[in-house]
Amino acid sequence: MVATATKAEDQSQFGQTVIEGKNVTKVFGETVTALEGANFDIRAGEFISLVGPSGCGKSTLLRLVAGLIEKTSGDVKVNDDLVTKPRTDIGMMFQKAVLLDWRTAIENVLLPSEMKHRISQEDKDKAMASLELVGLKGFEFHFPKQLSGGMQQRVALARLIQTGADIMLMDEPFGALDEFTRERLNVELMRIVGELKATTLFVTHNIQEAIYLADRVMVMTPRPGRIAEIIEVEFERPRDISIQTSREFNIIIEQVRDTLGSH
Amino acid sequence: MKPLSFLISFLKYSLSFIIVLALWEAYARYGGLNELFLPRPSKIGAKLYSLFVKVEVIEQGTIYWHFYATLAQMSIGFAYGITIGTTLAVLAAFNETFRRYVAPYAVVFNVTPGIAVLPLIIAWFGFGWESKIALATLVCFFPPFINTLTGLLKKNDEAIELFQTIGATQSQYFWKQQLPNALPEIFAGLKLAITTALLGTIVAQFGSATEGVGILMQRFAFRLDMAGSFASLVTMAIMGLLVFTVAEVMDRRIVFWRDAKGLERVSRKKQQKLSANG
Amino acid sequence: MSYSTSQQTKNISIFKTLPFHLLIFAVLIVIWELTNLYGFEDQIQADMIAPRPTNIFLAMLDIFIIDKTVWKHLISTFQKALLGASIGTAIGMGLAIAATLSLTFRKYIKPWIILMEATPRIAVGPIFVALLGFGLWSAVALAALVAFFGPFVNTFQGLMEVDEEAEEMFRSLGASRFQTFWKLRFASAMELISAGWKLATASAFGGALVAEFIQASEGMGVLIAQYVIMITMDYAFAGLLSVTIFGFILFKIMDYFDYRLIFWKNDYLLLKESEKRRKKAGIV
Repeated sequence: MVATATKAEDQSQFGQTVIEGKNVTKVFGETVTALEGANFDIRAGEFISLVGPSGCGKSTLLRLVAGLIEKTSGDVKVNDDLVTKPRTDIGMMFQKAVLLDWRTAIENVLLPSEMKHRISQEDKDKAMASLELVGLKGFEFHFPKQLSGGMQQRVALARLIQTGADIMLMDEPFGALDEFTRERLNVELMRIVGELKATTLFVTHNIQEAIYLADRVMVMTPRPGRIAEIIEVEFERPRDISIQTSREFNIIIEQVRDTLGSH
Repeated sequence: MKPLSFLISFLKYSLSFIIVLALWEAYARYGGLNELFLPRPSKIGAKLYSLFVKVEVIEQGTIYWHFYATLAQMSIGFAYGITIGTTLAVLAAFNETFRRYVAPYAVVFNVTPGIAVLPLIIAWFGFGWESKIALATLVCFFPPFINTLTGLLKKNDEAIELFQTIGATQSQYFWKQQLPNALPEIFAGLKLAITTALLGTIVAQFGSATEGVGILMQRFAFRLDMAGSFASLVTMAIMGLLVFTVAEVMDRRIVFWRDAKGLERVSRKKQQKLSANG
Repeated sequence: MSYSTSQQTKNISIFKTLPFHLLIFAVLIVIWELTNLYGFEDQIQADMIAPRPTNIFLAMLDIFIIDKTVWKHLISTFQKALLGASIGTAIGMGLAIAATLSLTFRKYIKPWIILMEATPRIAVGPIFVALLGFGLWSAVALAALVAFFGPFVNTFQGLMEVDEEAEEMFRSLGASRFQTFWKLRFASAMELISAGWKLATASAFGGALVAEFIQASEGMGVLIAQYVIMITMDYAFAGLLSVTIFGFILFKIMDYFDYRLIFWKNDYLLLKESEKRRKKAGIV
């Protein structure tokens, strides 16, 4: 069963539709249907988690929205225009921080600014502020090799912030980190997203993480990749770690597992 | 691969050669190419024909004799080189003292440019085959040495811990893990050694020799018989390709796990053997 | 157990080993000297096969300080090698960049590259000498021919081997092809490119010597050959020693450049560079 947009009253805290997908299908080669008939409607300020096992199409969906790959059929729109290529109002984070080893943290953060024009003092000030926002004050001139995995991902996040995009797409950014670091970064991420009032699409294969972070969880199943269900998560923000042990939280976990299990 | 597609890809590869050769020939015939510098392909071809097919005798031997002599000198030098190199490497791998105090001298030998030692080698070994073999040995012993050493010393703590916990002796560890693990490096060293040995042999022949493709090339060049020297060059290229191919094939067969095809081949063979016995 | 993991073995510092190295070296020299004096029936034969270290030392003094004969030749060989290495590197890198950017170019030069790899390029030496004469240029040409392959292969491999995710990241930032090429591919290839430069220097050096050996008016190859012809083996050894030391210094310089250039491979350099950039930005 595919649940589409929820009731209008519940959506009042969120603004306009920012990302929209109508019947999106992506086929690789001629035989691999990575995503089939996906419909989604994401509003400003929402945090959406995409969760599912490998092959369910979550990374494909993300990349379609990002403009990194082209859809086979259907429509993908961001801020009401069709997505054809990567755009400046969207920022991305990947599973690997993908920092350039020969550049310091701040130089890595400045990378997006370099693409369009010469770096100004304003850009540099903004980069310093971004690094402070992600909790890396004092580490601006460290090289990636001198930073831990978690810190590298923070730099990647700061780089995303530097783009000035208010739509953030994240592909399992904390997947390679240990449990403790991941938990800490989840809390940090929520704080930062709240401060920036960003719209976020977050891909993960970790059910707890998906529910903890999100306003809505899109559960996806493989073969072929499809959005099986969209579940509302109604905890108040800011969210404490302790909600993960609450009854309501676990009910949602059950819901997700059910959806995944039956496919 | 189907014969037709093979033929097509072969033609595609040869296309750039054919085009270049055709342009070269045209430039020589009509464009006023100074044939002292670059003789036309047809003349080179004619020389090659004369050498290989009409079996012309030059420098007291046929091209086949010179080919054979060079190959023989190279192979003997190669054999000496890898023996010395791998023996030293094995000693260095197992004996800390040896490694620390003797191995550096191998590096010193390597840093000495082989060509600079050549006059001395000729003075010691004379103008015959010995000096060529000696130079070939000198220039080619280092890659097998350093590669075998590096391969054997490859740090594989987890494998060592595994072998220790199952109670393996040093000998068992060596034959079952250390040596196979080192094979990719060892063979890379051997491949490098054989090409270097060929180089050393040819260069040694420049010094002075009665036979060999190196001295052939030298004599042609100094007589300004450019067709001849280019023909010798082509001969050397053939020799190089031959040596290169043999080395590659040996490498692929023995270090079969380098690529997916090799893995599949051996996996299939082992499967067949199992079902044949079962 | 007689085989051990890195955590199980102990390391000895270089300061403990240095005196032993010197001791062993001294012992070898003494054995050599004695072999020459007492190991042969005929002194002349002895001097030809294993000239006395003392004589070699005196010869070194002569060619470097007293007569100063060696300098002209060392500089000549050095010139040829450097020129050859530079030209070879430029050509090699140029071809590699072209091959990276153009699929057609790559397909068409591939057979030529395989051919060049298999042919002993040094064998072209006599042709160059016959055509370009006994002077500088035949050696430079041969050095360049021998040197170009290393930078070509390395630059090509470095540029082609690109981290897919990094490329994706650049695309997501809206980078142009040129920006991706320069800031990502070229920068991440620097490690291999620098290694290619080292290879080029080493090969060019050897190439220059071979050309000199075939026929030249000056250079270390010529000098050593002359000494051998005159059967003054101690001088020949001295020449050999000089060229080895010289080559060694050259390689060490290249190694140092590589070490400083690819600073992010080394923890110590990383720390220093980090400090430097912090200071430059004016933040304490």
